[in-house]
Amino acid sequence: MTALDSGHPSAAARFVIRPALLVPLLAVVFAALVGLLLIASIGVSVPSAIAAFVDGTIGSPYAIAASINRSIAFGLVGFGFVLANRANLTNVGGEGQIAVGGIVATAVALYGHVSALPLGLPFILPMLAAVVAGAAWGALAAVMKVKAGTNEVISTLLLSFIGVWLLYWCVQSPALLRKPMTTSATLPESLEIPEATQLPLLTGDYSFPLHIGLPITIVIAVVVAVLLSKTVLGLRLRAVGLNPVAANRAGISYARTVIFALASAGALGGLAGAFMLLGEQYTLKDGFSSGYGFDGLVAGLLARGSVTGVVAASLLFGFMRSGGINMEMVAAVPTALVVVIQGLIVITLAGATLFIEKWERQ
Amino acid sequence: MIETIEPGGADLEPLLSLQAITKRFGNFAALSDVSLDLRPGEIHCILGENGAGKSTLCNVIFGVHRPDAGAMRYRGAAFQPSGPADSLSQGIAMVHQHFSLVPDMTVVDNVLLGRERGVLNRKDCAKQLEKLAIDYGLPLDPYAKIEDISVGERQRVEIVKCLIRDPSLFVLDEPTAVLLPDEISALLDVCRRVASSGRAVVLVTHKLAEIKKIADRVTVLRGGRVVASSATPASDIDRLVRAMIQGNVEALDTSAASILGIESVKHVSHDRAANVTKTEALQISGLTVKDYQGVTRLDNFTLTVDRGEIVGVAGVEGNGQSELTAVLAGMSLPTEGRIHLGDTELTARSPKEITAAGVGIVPEDRHAVGCVTGMSLAENIYLNRLDEFTRFGFLRRTSLESEAAEMMQRFDVRARGPGVVFSSLSGGNQQKAVLAREITLPGLVCLVAAQPTRGLDVGAVAAVYSHIRAACARGVAILLVSSELDELLTVADRIVVLYRGRIMGSCVADPARREQIGAMMAGQAQ
Repeated sequence: MTALDSGHPSAAARFVIRPALLVPLLAVVFAALVGLLLIASIGVSVPSAIAAFVDGTIGSPYAIAASINRSIAFGLVGFGFVLANRANLTNVGGEGQIAVGGIVATAVALYGHVSALPLGLPFILPMLAAVVAGAAWGALAAVMKVKAGTNEVISTLLLSFIGVWLLYWCVQSPALLRKPMTTSATLPESLEIPEATQLPLLTGDYSFPLHIGLPITIVIAVVVAVLLSKTVLGLRLRAVGLNPVAANRAGISYARTVIFALASAGALGGLAGAFMLLGEQYTLKDGFSSGYGFDGLVAGLLARGSVTGVVAASLLFGFMRSGGINMEMVAAVPTALVVVIQGLIVITLAGATLFIEKWERQ
Repeated sequence: MIETIEPGGADLEPLLSLQAITKRFGNFAALSDVSLDLRPGEIHCILGENGAGKSTLCNVIFGVHRPDAGAMRYRGAAFQPSGPADSLSQGIAMVHQHFSLVPDMTVVDNVLLGRERGVLNRKDCAKQLEKLAIDYGLPLDPYAKIEDISVGERQRVEIVKCLIRDPSLFVLDEPTAVLLPDEISALLDVCRRVASSGRAVVLVTHKLAEIKKIADRVTVLRGGRVVASSATPASDIDRLVRAMIQGNVEALDTSAASILGIESVKHVSHDRAANVTKTEALQISGLTVKDYQGVTRLDNFTLTVDRGEIVGVAGVEGNGQSELTAVLAGMSLPTEGRIHLGDTELTARSPKEITAAGVGIVPEDRHAVGCVTGMSLAENIYLNRLDEFTRFGFLRRTSLESEAAEMMQRFDVRARGPGVVFSSLSGGNQQKAVLAREITLPGLVCLVAAQPTRGLDVGAVAAVYSHIRAACARGVAILLVSSELDELLTVADRIVVLYRGRIMGSCVADPARREQIGAMMAGQAQ
């Protein structure tokens, strides 16, 4: 558990600023080299794989924006993870929270009669609904923990499966969100949400599809960082995380703190789902969350309690994912290999962090 | 007591000798340049306050820590144990401060644990236990479960676990902290017998009474250095104490002195607040606690504590004290009974409500309940009053830390600053910080202090008592739970004795009643 327990807020921040930045960089380079070796070993041309990767990450404004949008989803889940982890809670339910966020956002956008409302409400309301749904999904695990002592790792994980299958049901059943079946070939997906409910693009240009989720996420990052380091609430989370018994004795409510922490994490997951749906995909499909919740979880884990760490890790993963997808499409590198390389990066980075900590202690 | 016959003699070759041992943890030197000789047949006491390096010294001998400088010679050869297993195999055994027994297993299984592979030969082991029982006066039922036997018996198991290996050097790290008066003298007898069979015994303690009684030789540690030693401890006791606490004995708080055994125990009357009329503050009636298995842990406990009164709860640990304080602190629910503070009912209230009503709690388990060791000193001092340091939800850290700095000064909490992490403080300073928090609660009516001086050194003990007395003089009702009878006899006004969850009896805290109280602690009715 030590990897999860980096309670001290400045620990990871320190490591970002120090020359120790070099070590994680080397770790990434090392993992990339091993990845290239693997690519070469299966007979794919390395230069064309690299070209495809670069093309998919920074090759076009569209690629850059798509990568950043991915990073946003990872980041939101990661912030939630870090926040809950401050109370020593491990939220592995990002995937399900994204799914319920997406479902609710779709439902409200399509059937909530919000399109005609003024002041941006057409997209704000579905967003808020997704936040509430995600929070409820997270709070459910918290209530189980407080009332019955259920381990939140288990409950959030299982709730995740429920969320993902709920989504499957929603897009399969015409009584729920599936679009009206005109022919037998109608895909199991929702209708496209009305234009008014789609998130406004920052540039107004679909070739650079950054949407207002980006500034919102930046604000959230700052809020989470400040909450954790400067507020009494952050201190309470930490107290409950480090010693729930002593915190309780000192009058800090364990139940309220745990519910707040997991609900917040869930809310951020729900928001990530809303951004994905309202900002990029516009229709709800099976496989909508496609592992983003788990990538976000890894970003949160790697960040070791630091919000800046989450930003760095999510950007890394966002771009990696985009590049990987392009490698798969253009250079015919198997998906499995892309996943292997991602895993390698995670392991070398985690190892690098351990190394740095040992080194700093001496 | 057995007369001290000069054992071994200085001319005899030492069994183990430490030569200029230094052990550092980071920049902190836990031991510097420590040299001492342990001879066969002698009881060598290591005396020192908490943090003086006693445990580190034991751990170096036992192979847990490797010294950074210096050398050890054992039986005339260089000795560099690679770990406890190595030391054990070479004939060095150690009884640690905290028991390491499996409560759910029998005595014989605990003794066999880690010693045998494959098939357990319980019968042989039981026979060996019988022999040890006769040789050293350590009677034990080999087939009793650890959880069913008393603390004193558990310690016997720890000792037997060592003796069965037939060690030549036997180290005991603060073995008397949890024992009844009778059990302590029995343990000292065992030490004497072990030594007279030609083994070297190292006894770590900070109780002078024990040293007077049994030590052949004493080495005093302070700040990781040897500051005094004596081959005639009984007559040198004043010098040794001075060396230990680096000050003069006369200046010591009388109660602290009597707890240490420097003076004979005498009751110290405290100034009752003249203007406080004798009013009942804490009323506990018929408090009963059953654990989840339905076993009664606290049985019909009824007690009233007046304002300006100190009531002591005596008893061997594990006789319901923890349950009592947990219920009073709002950490667990009573099965039956009620608690009132004046006219306010406090039965089954939350810790927050209890704090708000004016009840301060110094919990017996400082680390588990009293503080969050990973947070800063300032955060811990104001853990229950963080709301007073907020503006729009933001923590006003500067004012939190400056107020905490004031508290540190008032309560003599020594640390580099209010921002240091709590775990970096010594036990005594941690306790002073917890006490500071609870005793400065606004509107404090009653203070429940459980084992408030456990593991503290002389200075800290004195400080804790002067604060408790001051609070009492202000009219606070004080319930003091302690397993140290001497402590209660000096500080409390009245003593009630707990045995198996029931009040065996009560009396005024008069040192003359020591034996009577001791008998009640052992379960004999008045």
